[in-house]
Amino acid sequence: MERRFYFLAGDALSNGIMGMTTAWLATGIVDPTWHMATAMFVGMAAGMGLSLILMPIFVGLFGAMEVMLPVMLTAMLVGMAFGMAGAMHVLTTLEVLLGGGFIGVLVLLLTYAADARIRRKSL
Amino acid sequence: MDESTRHKWDFSSSFYDLLAYGPERRWAPFKREIFANLHGKVLFVAVGTGQDIRFFPPGRDIVGIDISPRMLAKAQARAANYTGSLDLRVMDVHALEFPHHSFDQVVTSCTFCSVPNPVAGLTALRRVLKAGGILYMFEHTGSHVFPFNLMLDVMTPLWKPVGPEMNRDTVANVEKAGFEIQLVNNIYLDVVKTIIAISPA
Repeated sequence: MERRFYFLAGDALSNGIMGMTTAWLATGIVDPTWHMATAMFVGMAAGMGLSLILMPIFVGLFGAMEVMLPVMLTAMLVGMAFGMAGAMHVLTTLEVLLGGGFIGVLVLLLTYAADARIRRKSL
Repeated sequence: MDESTRHKWDFSSSFYDLLAYGPERRWAPFKREIFANLHGKVLFVAVGTGQDIRFFPPGRDIVGIDISPRMLAKAQARAANYTGSLDLRVMDVHALEFPHHSFDQVVTSCTFCSVPNPVAGLTALRRVLKAGGILYMFEHTGSHVFPFNLMLDVMTPLWKPVGPEMNRDTVANVEKAGFEIQLVNNIYLDVVKTIIAISPA
């Protein structure tokens, strides 16, 4: 697993920012008049579109696949989750940012766990 | 010469180094480790802007090729600082202009995510490698693990116009080209890896 502070901090920052901005964007597009399934797909598409804009910055600073994979997963999952949540009720900005950031960091930790497991199996 | 590939990488040469800052620093220890094995007459495929030259051990005899003249123009300054023999040439891996069995080792670094016909390219490398010669690869490939395989399949059509394909099975391609795999070492998930293979007699 990566042990250098610069890259660990970069991973956390990339996924945290991706989660927060995706949640903010998804809940900005969707409102409680939307059908939940439509809101989920629109949120996911918005997140993935946003990740394509932010990804070159994160990649250029912190790494390639190690950044791309968790950041895109974060964008997809946060977009879906907050698309649906935004279709159910109105969320405060604090709830949106904390929730999005939390999912981003959770995705990163799960990716670290998957990385450790895959590399241990391949030894 | 594959003109569309050349144009793509000529275009990418203008921003390549900007995007390579993070990845090159992250991968530096692993690249240094695999490049430390270089000896004899070495062919380095896809030199790009020469980001990897600083990882070459000093005093080696290396020929570096790339399909993009603009990439190679940027690599020249880095090559000038190398303390060994480093000859850079514009060349397509599908049409190598070297005699049969002219290299002891071949090295690739994030190359076979971009070569249009990877098996043909790897077969061409086998032709110029001596029998028993070693192929060292540092590559990113597709994944066999969900959801990473899905993510890489989604990213491939988005990045392909300006960069690499993300979902290739490079280990299988190496075997299809007739190499014998000696070692596959996963560096990140089953996506970033080093591969060591031998050209059989």
